[in-house]
Amino acid sequence: METLNHILNGFTVALQPINLWYTLVGCFLGTVVGVLPGIGPAAGIALLIPVTYGMNPGSALIMLAGIYYGAKYGGSTTSILIRTPGESSSVMTCIDGYAMALKGRAGAALAVSAIGSFIAGTIGVLGLTLFAVPLAAMAIEFGPAEFFTLMLFAMTAVASLTGRSLPKGLLSMFLGLMLATVGIDLQSAYPRYTMGVLELQEGISFVIVAVGLFAVAEVLQGLEMLVRGTAPDVIRISGKLWLTREEWRRSIGPIWRGGILGFIIGVLPGAGSTIASILSYTMERKLSKHPEEFGEGAIEGVAGPESANNSDTAGALVPLLTLGLPGGAVTAVLLGAFIMYGIQPGPQLFKEHPEVVWGLIDSMYVGNIMLLILNLPLIGLFVRLLYIPRAMLYPLIVAIAVIGIYSVNGSVVELYMLLFFGVAGYLLNKADIPITPLVLGLVLGDLLEQSFRQALTLSDGSLGIFFSSRITVTLVLLTAVSILWPLVFSRMKALKRLTTAKSGD
Amino acid sequence: MANRITFCFAVVLAAVYLYAAGRFPALHLSDPLGPQAFPRLLGIGLLLSAAGLLAETLRAGKPGSPAGEGKAQGAGRCYAVVVGAVIWTALYFAAFEWLGYAISTSIYLLALMAYFRPGKWMSNGLTSVLYSFGSYMIFKKLLLVALPAGFLPF
Repeated sequence: METLNHILNGFTVALQPINLWYTLVGCFLGTVVGVLPGIGPAAGIALLIPVTYGMNPGSALIMLAGIYYGAKYGGSTTSILIRTPGESSSVMTCIDGYAMALKGRAGAALAVSAIGSFIAGTIGVLGLTLFAVPLAAMAIEFGPAEFFTLMLFAMTAVASLTGRSLPKGLLSMFLGLMLATVGIDLQSAYPRYTMGVLELQEGISFVIVAVGLFAVAEVLQGLEMLVRGTAPDVIRISGKLWLTREEWRRSIGPIWRGGILGFIIGVLPGAGSTIASILSYTMERKLSKHPEEFGEGAIEGVAGPESANNSDTAGALVPLLTLGLPGGAVTAVLLGAFIMYGIQPGPQLFKEHPEVVWGLIDSMYVGNIMLLILNLPLIGLFVRLLYIPRAMLYPLIVAIAVIGIYSVNGSVVELYMLLFFGVAGYLLNKADIPITPLVLGLVLGDLLEQSFRQALTLSDGSLGIFFSSRITVTLVLLTAVSILWPLVFSRMKALKRLTTAKSGD
Repeated sequence: MANRITFCFAVVLAAVYLYAAGRFPALHLSDPLGPQAFPRLLGIGLLLSAAGLLAETLRAGKPGSPAGEGKAQGAGRCYAVVVGAVIWTALYFAAFEWLGYAISTSIYLLALMAYFRPGKWMSNGLTSVLYSFGSYMIFKKLLLVALPAGFLPF
């Protein structure tokens, strides 16, 4: 009953005119970010965080979340019209969405993507509404040892699932954790790794790192691409922006299945919306009576993945809000935003800030409706963004980042740090090292160290505390599995290749 | 090649990091570990990851082929442009407070756009100036963000 009251109160927060406005702004900017290839939601949110400093935290989070799920709607537009995913999770839509556009069914592809996103997005928010409170109630019993092992599992899962190499994922995670140790140690008040630089005493600003690694690095990557080649042609939207009866019949199953699958994948740390959309595509092809149509413009190949990557966003908010645990880059950036507003996500969030958390969740119902309107009748407006020359866009992104970073402390040193992390992000991309584990390590580093040290204080220095309860033992085992699984998997693949080669001989 | 460079970088970084951690005082005020224990674990973790990367690279076999080398040579200009953009951005930051936000940003944008969109002087110029001065007025006057005025009287 209390939860129901909170949900209803959340709607009174979400429906306040100011919050409706911020939901609209977030959804609009999210769609823009999604449509623009190369700029993902993590970069978009990181760029906007400094602008939200003076805002009410609830409204700011509503807007930032709007960018997150709005980008998923926009990401499909470029996949369908220029065969370039505006957002990484729309990669599967490139296959059949683009093929539909070539056949003159771009309107139907865009429509099914928006409608599927709306239905699946709402399924995801319903799941978030239903599962958040029970999970938070369970986590309220967690002590430092449980939190340490939980965070360790989340980080190793992300490190092993993002990118192609486990050592590179772990390396990135350790770099992030090392960055988090810069600054004054909270327990002993001893400055660590500050090198006498005053600006480093409070630690490395998360916003600088996030904007540098995501936005500036993407700009450098984009400038390189400009030199390398030309921008792809944009296919004109053809056909009605609606579905035929037959297309509806073929789409509704994939939308529901994708919605449920995406939510489940979203809850798991590290899996992410790209994996959700790939799994959905594979599942739909397996279930289809006409698998040969996949790749040639099958509407199921758009409906399923687009639905999965939308409900994934709500799923990813479950561990973030209830456990304070981000499962990917965007939720890590969102966690950083929460912490900067003085709100710690986790089991206590639902008790201490019910108006913020329920206002945020309920705003997502409203946001999904807004996005449906933005992405159907107004799609032509967003398509025009694809005609903005990238040679103009990339320098402007740097200029926007500069305003955001300088406005926080008015420090040029921080601008140099921004450039440093931009170059670092570019080099990490070149070395094929995933950035997400680094960001996760930076955001969770402080908490991880604090829970580690608190747990050992409680146990008088005995590591046995990490094996003292069923929860910690399970989480330690899961951590071991998340590290060992990629090794076992690659060994199995190598053996299979060897067997196939031998049988071929 | 990239993996080997990454390995060397990680080893050097871990060594420096561990050395610095060893110089932290062993303050056991409220916890049995002090400020140096966690960084030591991280340094060791980084070394192990680097070792894993080296093992993976060696197992994968020799990198690079003649075709790959040709591609790398072709990429030289791209990297030179990126390095140029980074230096230009550093110069922009160096002049940021002296010239002021609006003027320095106009020059920064105009130069980059002129390089990447040659010949479109009108649209490049208008975009650079309108964006720089427009955002300056919005952020400085409306949102009261403390952007440097530089040579501008307002």
